[in-house]
Amino acid sequence: MTTLSRIGQGPAVVRRGPARHFAAAALCLLLLALALLASVMFGSKPTSASDVLRVVTGDGDGYLRTVVESRYPRTALGLLAGLCLGVAGTLMQGITRNPLAEPGLLGINAGASAAIVAATAFLGASGQRENIWWALAGALATGVVVHLIGTAGGGSGPVRLVLAGAVLSAVLAAFIQAVALSRPQVFDTYRYWVVGSLGGRGFDAFWAVLPFAAVGFVLAVLLAPALNAMAMGDDKAASLGISPARVKGAGLLAATLLSAAATAAVGPIAFVGLAVPHLVRVLVGADFRLQILFTSLVGPTLLLFADVIGRVLLRPQELMVGVVTAFVGAPALLFAVRRMRGAA
Amino acid sequence: MKTAERIDTPAVTTSRPGRPAGRSLLRIGPWIAIPVRRTTVIAAVVTLLLLLGAAVATLSLGRLGIDPADLPSALMGEATGKNAFVLNRLRGPRLVVAIATGAAFGLSGALFQSVTRNPLGSPDVIGLGAGSGAGAAAAALFFPDLVPVPVGALLGAVIAMAVVYFSTGTGFRNPGRLVVSGIGVAAMSTALTQYVVYAVERDKASALTAYINGSLAARSWDDATTIWVVLLVCLPLAALLARPLSIGEMGDELSTGLGARPARTATAAVTLSIVLSAGAVSVAGPIAFVSLTAPQIAKRVTRSGGPHLVMSTLLGALLLVLADLTAQQLPLFDNLPVGLYTMAVGGAYLGYLLLREWKRPAA
Repeated sequence: MTTLSRIGQGPAVVRRGPARHFAAAALCLLLLALALLASVMFGSKPTSASDVLRVVTGDGDGYLRTVVESRYPRTALGLLAGLCLGVAGTLMQGITRNPLAEPGLLGINAGASAAIVAATAFLGASGQRENIWWALAGALATGVVVHLIGTAGGGSGPVRLVLAGAVLSAVLAAFIQAVALSRPQVFDTYRYWVVGSLGGRGFDAFWAVLPFAAVGFVLAVLLAPALNAMAMGDDKAASLGISPARVKGAGLLAATLLSAAATAAVGPIAFVGLAVPHLVRVLVGADFRLQILFTSLVGPTLLLFADVIGRVLLRPQELMVGVVTAFVGAPALLFAVRRMRGAA
Repeated sequence: MKTAERIDTPAVTTSRPGRPAGRSLLRIGPWIAIPVRRTTVIAAVVTLLLLLGAAVATLSLGRLGIDPADLPSALMGEATGKNAFVLNRLRGPRLVVAIATGAAFGLSGALFQSVTRNPLGSPDVIGLGAGSGAGAAAAALFFPDLVPVPVGALLGAVIAMAVVYFSTGTGFRNPGRLVVSGIGVAAMSTALTQYVVYAVERDKASALTAYINGSLAARSWDDATTIWVVLLVCLPLAALLARPLSIGEMGDELSTGLGARPARTATAAVTLSIVLSAGAVSVAGPIAFVSLTAPQIAKRVTRSGGPHLVMSTLLGALLLVLADLTAQQLPLFDNLPVGLYTMAVGGAYLGYLLLREWKRPAA
């Protein structure tokens, strides 16, 4: 599992006592709470923490109530999408042993985009509510196809999967652009969706993807011990009675469900799935059980803070969270590159 | 290009042992003797003929086409009326740009793949295409009257490559780092581009998107001059690099032992590759996959271990001219940017390559 610590930090596999983990968990929880508070506090009309408290406890005038409550859906979406992206990233990086693996690699983004574009162009779909279902279907279908291509011709390997995702993404991208460019109406839907944003979506987006996210998350939690065993190598895992192929398959299924849910709900968002697992490994080491637990705290925290930054930066307009994560995440990656060892 | 992520794995190579037989020397005067393989010469001649055929088709097909019978006289400068318009304004410059741009992409990809020993390597992988797209978008949004979009694209490409160069800390020498920082730069560029496309009005966004996908529509003779100058300056430099590169493909240690300087060769080749790509991108936008596929096809055609520079150049030109011919003549879609055709075909070809690799035992 040394590949996992290839970028950025030094050896990640360091034994750390439970006391440290409790402290880290407390810190992460506190930060998450702050992120949640910030997400309902800031916006085109700023409110104070005490305002929020009053609304939450059932006080406050109608106007204030409307303002604060209008921020609930995006906060809920940020919480869910951040968790999904982080856990999906952890699973993918663990299974593919590729420190750069992230959900977009499975073709999820391209699949969701292509489905939205196709549904708008050929089936006359319109509106947020319908789009989520199409995105979800497209994302899942692409995930399945990538798995099929990746395991075609006998043998399988994580690298193939990544390549299959890349190939399918390229072909789908051509399709998306071709349809979008020849039909202005479709182009309009697509260009708003593809930026990736928590705003402008309601609770229905949250409820629509929740079941998929939940199944994916439960699967991830159940797989954690097996993934730990596999970190010692496929042979060792097999000798412990674990079928590496089955664990990998299930893990990638979970990653697909999670990233499909996130992408369908908020559009493609870069770097959260890539960066969060790295941060978490620095924090808790290589144990997948801890990694998944902490990812579910750190992922939403990062995504919510990125969203708040986007809202505050250009007030009264806002910068979409997808743009913010790219501009925060990419420099971090560039910085990490300098510390990569060897020729990689 | 998301393929970049596979830096941890050794490059998939399909090298077959070269065929020493069929090799002869091309002598120019007493000192210059270039080893030439018969397969390669035949392939080059065939490619040139195909290119000629595609060029004639580009000029003569369709409603506005010049009758092939009139073509020789038209090319001699005797065209009048409609033919003169089509040749001098409409399809002539477009064809000339397509040839040079394709050649530049092909050579650029061959240089890059040779250095990185990664068949999936191309300047696109390290964020050049995305950077130029962002440059174009930024020019369109922030300086609409000040900076022309192609200049913005060129600036974007240059800035992106500068960021990659400095962020790696080792310049262009280390392929792994190059690819990773390329991902970062590409992500930022794409985010910026998408934001601009989101923020401007629909018609503007639509035009910008067409440009960002790489288009050859409405090119002028100025564009042709630009890209041909870039190509003609770079070709001799690439020729100088051919030998050190082929030694370098034996691996760093071995080639150092043979007295080569792999790090210097790598920097020179990647720099040249980027200059070629940036030149091509500034006239045609980031056309996908030509620099990726041309060297791969060249490798198969010549049956050599590494990317073949001359064949990659020729095949790049052929691919792009064919793609542009499709973009002009396919009745299914009107005026789609040529980059979409190369993306679709290139993606499919890449998929085919991968499936072939995987069918082999111990790939």
